[in-house]
Amino acid sequence: MKKMLTLAVCALMLTPIALMAKDANKKNNDDPLVVGLIMKSLANEFFMAMEEGAQAYAEKDGTFTLKTMGMNSETDFDSQVNAVDSLIIQGVDLIVLAPADSAGMVAPVKRAIDAGVTVINFDVTLDKEALRAAGLPEEFLFVGPDNTDGAEMVGNYLGEALGEGGKVFILEGNPGADNAKQRKNGFMKAIKTHGLELLASNTAHWETEEANTLMSNLLTKHPDVQGVMCANDSMALGVVRALEAAGREDVLVVGFDNIPAVKELILNDKMLATVHMDGTEMAVLAFNAGFEIIEGKRENLGWVQSPLKLANKAFFK
Amino acid sequence: MCYPIDFPLSHESGVLMAANKIIELKNISLVFPGVRALDGVDLSIEEGEIHILLGENGAGKSSLVKTLCGVYTQTGGTMLMDGKEYAPRNPLTAINSGIRVVYQEFNLLPYLSIAENIFFEKLPKKGCLVDFKKLYSDAAAIMAKVGLDKVSPKTLVEMLGVAQMQLVEIAKALSGHSRILILDEPTATLMPDEINTLFELLMKLKAEGVSIIYISHRLNEIFRIGDRVTVLRNGQLVATKKASELDIPSIVKMMVGRNMESEYPFDESVTPSSPLLEVKNLIYQGNPHPKSFTLRKGEILGIAGLVGSGRTETMRALFGADTKAAGQIFLNGEELHITSPKNAVEKGICLLTEDRKQQGLILEMSCVENTTITDLKSVSFRGFLNREKETEATEKQISEMNIKTPGINQKTLHLSGGNQQKILIGKWLYRDSEVFIFDEPTRGIDVGAKYEIYLLLWKLASMGRGIIMVSSDLPELLGVCHRILVFSDGKITGELDRKEFDPESILKLSYSEYLNA
Amino acid sequence: MTSKITENTRWRSLINVFLKEVGIGVVLLVLVVAFSLAAPRFFSVLNVSNIFTQISINTVIAVGMTFVILLGGIDLSVGSVLALCSIIAGKALTNPSLPFGTAIVLAVTLSIASGMLIGFFNGFISETWKIHSFIVTLGMLNIARGLALQISHSRTIFNFPQIFKDFGTTTYFEVFPAIFLIALALVVIGTIILRKTVFGRMIFAIGNNEESVRLSGHNVKFYKVMAYTICGGTVGIATIMYMLRMGIASPILGVGFELNAIAAVVIGGTSMSGGKGSLIGTFLGASIMGVLNNGLLLIGMGDFARQIVTGAIIILAVILDTYRNKLSAKFNA
Repeated sequence: MKKMLTLAVCALMLTPIALMAKDANKKNNDDPLVVGLIMKSLANEFFMAMEEGAQAYAEKDGTFTLKTMGMNSETDFDSQVNAVDSLIIQGVDLIVLAPADSAGMVAPVKRAIDAGVTVINFDVTLDKEALRAAGLPEEFLFVGPDNTDGAEMVGNYLGEALGEGGKVFILEGNPGADNAKQRKNGFMKAIKTHGLELLASNTAHWETEEANTLMSNLLTKHPDVQGVMCANDSMALGVVRALEAAGREDVLVVGFDNIPAVKELILNDKMLATVHMDGTEMAVLAFNAGFEIIEGKRENLGWVQSPLKLANKAFFK
Repeated sequence: MCYPIDFPLSHESGVLMAANKIIELKNISLVFPGVRALDGVDLSIEEGEIHILLGENGAGKSSLVKTLCGVYTQTGGTMLMDGKEYAPRNPLTAINSGIRVVYQEFNLLPYLSIAENIFFEKLPKKGCLVDFKKLYSDAAAIMAKVGLDKVSPKTLVEMLGVAQMQLVEIAKALSGHSRILILDEPTATLMPDEINTLFELLMKLKAEGVSIIYISHRLNEIFRIGDRVTVLRNGQLVATKKASELDIPSIVKMMVGRNMESEYPFDESVTPSSPLLEVKNLIYQGNPHPKSFTLRKGEILGIAGLVGSGRTETMRALFGADTKAAGQIFLNGEELHITSPKNAVEKGICLLTEDRKQQGLILEMSCVENTTITDLKSVSFRGFLNREKETEATEKQISEMNIKTPGINQKTLHLSGGNQQKILIGKWLYRDSEVFIFDEPTRGIDVGAKYEIYLLLWKLASMGRGIIMVSSDLPELLGVCHRILVFSDGKITGELDRKEFDPESILKLSYSEYLNA
Repeated sequence: MTSKITENTRWRSLINVFLKEVGIGVVLLVLVVAFSLAAPRFFSVLNVSNIFTQISINTVIAVGMTFVILLGGIDLSVGSVLALCSIIAGKALTNPSLPFGTAIVLAVTLSIASGMLIGFFNGFISETWKIHSFIVTLGMLNIARGLALQISHSRTIFNFPQIFKDFGTTTYFEVFPAIFLIALALVVIGTIILRKTVFGRMIFAIGNNEESVRLSGHNVKFYKVMAYTICGGTVGIATIMYMLRMGIASPILGVGFELNAIAAVVIGGTSMSGGKGSLIGTFLGASIMGVLNNGLLLIGMGDFARQIVTGAIIILAVILDTYRNKLSAKFNA
């Protein structure tokens, strides 16, 4: 009886492996260019959408084979290192990488370059000091958005709506994350430009529930708040719920990322605006920059800015 | 009815005369909130004497020992060592003063070697590493002294038998400079020849001038090794006397404070009737020898044999406590298929395990919760417990069994050994079964409580229940049972009716399989 | 004689209850008084109501966790299971072919049932193969998270029916949010189960001495698996509460919830080795964590300092608890 059970449970545990294995065994044909796309956590909708968009692009384009790899979590940099190494062994021509750790990923990038693979850094910049230490140029080519600019753009939009002296909160991302720092800096610039009053700036670690708790607590402390700047949309969702629970319809909220869930909020005036960032577009920019380098048309230096757009009510109509 | 068993032993008590007092306790009191554990006790220990400490459970023996070795600090009175004041702040200062205790529950680390256990407190070092060469040679020397010379000092403690573990504990106690060795119930789990070895060792230590405080419930041992006897009752000193001036009835009277007619009750009027439980060809994992026996209604069937002879395992197999067992079991002629204790209990068979603390009681829970656990259905309605019914049921058990507890909500942890055992029996009486299997029901409990437990067995027998009693205490089996089965190395080697009872032949049967091998 | 004993024991048990459960309440009271003095808005109706909302989800998960910890086990999978249940319930709730009412009933049922099923698996696997629940639930933590991401394709589910979201922000008598009342009801029901039923008695007994209970003729495995199933069920309920409160379902939510729940249980005086504890304690533990999080922010403490102080107070509360136990032991000696 117990043996049967053991078998049954083992079989049950193996089913997902069998299902997943099907995906992994996709064979690449003899196409000359093989591109490896290494993203951060696929649990993040942004990267999930990027993966799907990039796959669709590769299929339509037809000139290269794409291998995509996502991690288990935003900070899972061990498996990113392994992913780079395994792509080197598989002999890919181009690696497009969104580093989970700005400094930590420099060493594997160096290994790939030494092995003759072209590497494009996108989404998050590699650490300048670590690049110099590894003997790579500090201005190693980066394809990605200007987070500071984006935050400043949406912050200015809020500032215009509130007018001078408007009272605001900032909800920060993970302390220590580069993009969190840049977005906060952008928000601060907008606050300065429009003469806003910053009542509080706290982290909610990118999370909806934590942002909800933080927002309702901050509302108690500063009931006179007029606007909230959130470093991502997940936190904005929690903030909007906290305002709904408190029956406050007068507080304006802006976010960042344009995840699908905010569209309806912006259309219903629950949120003022967010920053639209297109993952697929960014990946495609990175692919093309890579192809140009391989063809010798471009140097592996500089910054290819991926566009950021203000997503307000008009954007969705 | 009492069968004296005498093991001849050179006995030199009284030879060492006029020895000087190592330690003197004057008017010692120890008070806990609500409890007066010791009340003005005087005691003196002389150099090179074996001093027997007696008393029922809860009489204050443990408290006295713990005060001596620094676990408790007395709330009144003084202690003198070599005429100077002795006030141990903690067990370590007591050890440094030369007082070592071997507790009933061993304090060994099973996955370390004998040598490491002996010197655990101060391992010999070479630089910052352990000097294993010295460790093993030092350990071997001490082990030879205590008669543990047949095993290597590198052996892991978990491989040892109970008697050997005890010798390791004694070796550990002797590893430093010991002047007073305190032994708490050292013979509770030992077989007769192991007891003989222990006693020879104690005599040797005594001759070397070590004083020994010896706590035991086995009264016949007093006359074999004791020089002086101190009896405590309810935290007070009854008397200190020379062993040679005493006999068992007078000691029992001192301990209990009343006369008991006999050490063991035997009721001639209760006679076993029709067969109740028939066991045919029972085998269990690790033992291929089929065992068959029958228990009748109103019968007390004794099971004798050495520890490890398969007594406990057979009873556990019968009760379905361990998974793999085979054979036929009939209760009142109907075949049972017992696969779990739940099964056995529902059919009317219960087992009181030998280890009441680990497998019997739930120490952290109250008397009520321990009593009703065997039959929660009768005190509940649709899954909801009825406190009044529980209280009523428990109070009934407590008063019928004369259990001493401050209240029914007292945790069983705080009860004395005898009262714990009574609660354990009480929980099975509460459910009521047809067959009661008692594994070592009187181990480590005092004379008074033992006597009450024997009376309970008789009461059950007179009600037509079948009783199986496993015991290492041969006089107890001889005194209480109708019939005795003897186990030896996993086989049943003999069956004796009361009229054939004879300690010598039971011992021979117990050893028979080991001698053949 | 009999009545006298009963009266005496009642009196004693009252003191015991005070020492065992109200003890941690004193810590809570001290915090509340201190914050009320330091931050004027702390004791306002709005803020108290906020705190009630904020502790509700953790309280409910911790109620289930208490059952498991009382058995000496642990359930590390609760956070991931919450995410998985939210995706399952979210899919049902946003199914366009169902009328609102049906969708809501289906979502609630599916969430609780999936939670219970996973809890059952945790308990059943751990008990059948005698694997410590730490390992089994650690495995389940990954399985549930992976399933949630797989089923949802990492997408957040939103657009819940308005009536559902409105209930999430409903507050009764100004201070009692709907989800808090659900949490409170579960604490009360759980306490009744633990204190008044045969099942509860068995949970405590098994937690203290499993072998003894088995040899007393009980099916220990049944009770243990049931406790894990209950824990899973409370996670299912917590999932619905989360969705009511946030108006979304997401495969990445609930990270670290298991640690908050375990902390609430342990601060509440439940022993990690099992056999000792109470749901009142668990509730007070969750309250302490909620009050700290809220109060420290209101007195204007920064993010990092808040984290440090919260950690320190958790340790302090447990240290205080050991003194309380000693006092209680002395009283009972």
